[in-house]
Amino acid sequence: MAVPPAVPFVAASAIGKSYGGAQALRDAALCVLPGEVHGLVGANGAGKSTLIRILAGLTQPDTGEIAIEGRPARIASPHEASGLGMSFIHQELAFVPDMTVLENIMLGLPKKTRLGLVDWAAIQRDVAPIVERVGITAPLDAPAKRLSTAENWLISIARALVWKARLIVMDEPTASLSAGECRKLFSIIRGLSASGVAVLYVSHRLDEILDLCGRVTVLRDGRSVAVLDGPELTRRRLVQAIVGGAVEHLPKARDAAPGEVILSVRGLRRLPRVAEASFDLRRGEVLGLGGLVGAGRSELARLLYGADRPDAGGMTIEGRPFAPRSPAGAVRAGLGLVPEERRMEGLLLGKSIAFNLSLGNLTPLLASPVLPFISPRKRARLAQATIHDLSIKARSPEQPVGRLSGGNQQKVVIGRWLRSKPKILILDEPTRGVDIGARGEIHRLIRALARDGMAVLVISSEPDELPDLCDRVLVMAEGRIVRELAGAGLTRSAIIEASYAATEERVSA
Amino acid sequence: MNDVGYTRRLSPSTRAALGVFARYGTIIGLLVMILVFSFLSPHAFPTFNNFINVLSQASLAMIIAGGLTMAVIVGELDLSVGYAASLHGVLVTGLIVANHLPIPVAVVIELALGALIGVVNGVIVTKLKVNSVIATLGVGTVLVGLSFAYSAGVPIVSGVPESFLQLALGRWLFGIPNPIIFMALVFGGLWLLVERTAIGQEIQAVGGNPAAARLAGINVDRIKILGFVLSGMCAALTGTLLAARLGSGTTNAADSYLLTAFAAVFLGSATLRDGEFHILGTLIGTLIIVLGFNGLNIFGAPTYSQFMFQGAILIVAVGLASLGRSLAES
Repeated sequence: MAVPPAVPFVAASAIGKSYGGAQALRDAALCVLPGEVHGLVGANGAGKSTLIRILAGLTQPDTGEIAIEGRPARIASPHEASGLGMSFIHQELAFVPDMTVLENIMLGLPKKTRLGLVDWAAIQRDVAPIVERVGITAPLDAPAKRLSTAENWLISIARALVWKARLIVMDEPTASLSAGECRKLFSIIRGLSASGVAVLYVSHRLDEILDLCGRVTVLRDGRSVAVLDGPELTRRRLVQAIVGGAVEHLPKARDAAPGEVILSVRGLRRLPRVAEASFDLRRGEVLGLGGLVGAGRSELARLLYGADRPDAGGMTIEGRPFAPRSPAGAVRAGLGLVPEERRMEGLLLGKSIAFNLSLGNLTPLLASPVLPFISPRKRARLAQATIHDLSIKARSPEQPVGRLSGGNQQKVVIGRWLRSKPKILILDEPTRGVDIGARGEIHRLIRALARDGMAVLVISSEPDELPDLCDRVLVMAEGRIVRELAGAGLTRSAIIEASYAATEERVSA
Repeated sequence: MNDVGYTRRLSPSTRAALGVFARYGTIIGLLVMILVFSFLSPHAFPTFNNFINVLSQASLAMIIAGGLTMAVIVGELDLSVGYAASLHGVLVTGLIVANHLPIPVAVVIELALGALIGVVNGVIVTKLKVNSVIATLGVGTVLVGLSFAYSAGVPIVSGVPESFLQLALGRWLFGIPNPIIFMALVFGGLWLLVERTAIGQEIQAVGGNPAAARLAGINVDRIKILGFVLSGMCAALTGTLLAARLGSGTTNAADSYLLTAFAAVFLGSATLRDGEFHILGTLIGTLIIVLGFNGLNIFGAPTYSQFMFQGAILIVAVGLASLGRSLAES
């Protein structure tokens, strides 16, 4: 590790942070020198976003120290972060679509005349050189919504420079840029660096990291495990550091050989996120869908579930064509979904557990086969049974579901599909935000469903989860299924390597 | 992640007190109002006859508010109900007087037309994705135009048969005025539908969280259209009964029911449940408003005070409802 030659702009050390029971950061350090382009890499869940949130003043670390230009700093709010000379550009750009380019650049920093009015003349004068420097060619009075994503990146960079930022943090800047736009962005980043503005470049794309960055910090399991520079900074070393030498879980013996193909997917496409997906899902198997965030997994699930329609390709269920026009159609055809955002998309938080369990599957609650009325007693009894089966910790079936813990809420969403017994169950990030104990129970539950003959598709961004849980794992990258892993080859590191390998292939192709 | 750091923390006892206020405030207000009016006017207000009178008067507002409740439960607003009721009043009188249709046929035609207006509202909102405030305001204004086109703005008065008037003025079982019976049937039916049927569960789910309802396999658009249809049918019934009570079909006659119904629905959502719209709540909400009017009338309060009462109570109602919701969510 090279000794930093100058006083670092940001020096963070021994940063620890936990959310609830989950330790997001244990011992993270980061040192960014003035004017350098510094890379930050790590697998999903390694702690990159948490570290950035701490720098941005969005959350406070539990332990550790941060110094800005050698002086200890406490970053209590985003406002203080920008006061200290740091600017953050996120994947989802924050700009006001209906305002002009210039208004967006000046957002939150109005120059005023003596009468308190905005001094547009002074602004034009100050902004012109910055606009030229970052290469904005669009007229300043054009509405921002007419610009491309790439041009909006430039607006964000210009805004950072207007704020006199000394460090600009960029989170996955090239996720939605074309190759040409990437090249332009890179040359601007180099220009920033030459003029003394440091850039912290966060990306999954190792080729870009290697191309741009002088030094790279690697995070793994909430620790900074390596700072690479000079001759040490190679793709091999990066991947090694990202994956780590963690002890592999031995693949578990599976209960039974999976049954016949139930869902067959061929050439499914919906650009930009799903380029091509073909696979088979068998009765009684748990199939994992791994890959990096943004690889197109949730978007693929939406296609299967009829929430979006594909541009091309087709599906069959038990040999019959399957083209759902809505989630209701997919449910009729035998699918169930446990969505990623369970509080937003899975539950009615103000309603009771019983209400949430019966949602979308009301026939068993009918008091009699002829009348359309449901029986509250039957509903309570069935809910009580499900609560017992899934050991949901609740006082009564009438308790509002919003008051349960994350794990118990997730069990309610899964429990909804227990009675209607779909042929295919899709679970998107089933254990996100769930404590360790509940996580084990949810895994056992998923295995039990498969044992009963259900075909289960599990999407997960946690590298540890899929090898434990699945019979077979498909790794997605850049909208394609790039690898299938099973048996002894199904390991945590194989999933991570496949996720990264694909991004490299894309560039070399 | 917990980056929403600006929720104000209330002490548990304050929260509990506010919670009781938000849930039972409307019922307490209703009881206080009855007590005060009874005390101030012991001979006119707390009598069985006055009560039956008030309830009979209230029934029309209650029916239209019951329908509006269905639209708001599915998460939309229906601003066309008042104008629709006015149009129905004009049309039903016209069908009976000018076209000599039997009364039951005319009423059935009105109900079907009410359902059709609901379908139009629902399709504009769900398929064309127009905000329901704009969509129903637009449809309502078109209905005003239709009403004028049909009657040229002249009330249809002459030739209204006595049997049609009996629809609103007649009494049935134990001498209970007909409107009360219609109201009870409508509320009983809607309550059963929402609280005790499978469709009712879907209606509640769509209003509570449309995204979750959709992913649970519910046809959200169809349920929303159903909400507008029920709202439209209730407006048709109110318009018809109003025409029978007035003995004429008059444009604009029912327009003011819109505000009453909104105030009732929002007062109702602050009753017993935390800012959630429900049928029983609407019943209580309408009672508060109508008893309030009745009390003001008995004391000879000037007309302007009634407008002020209605405007104020709408704001209080929405305030209580959102207080209940924010307490439930925190």
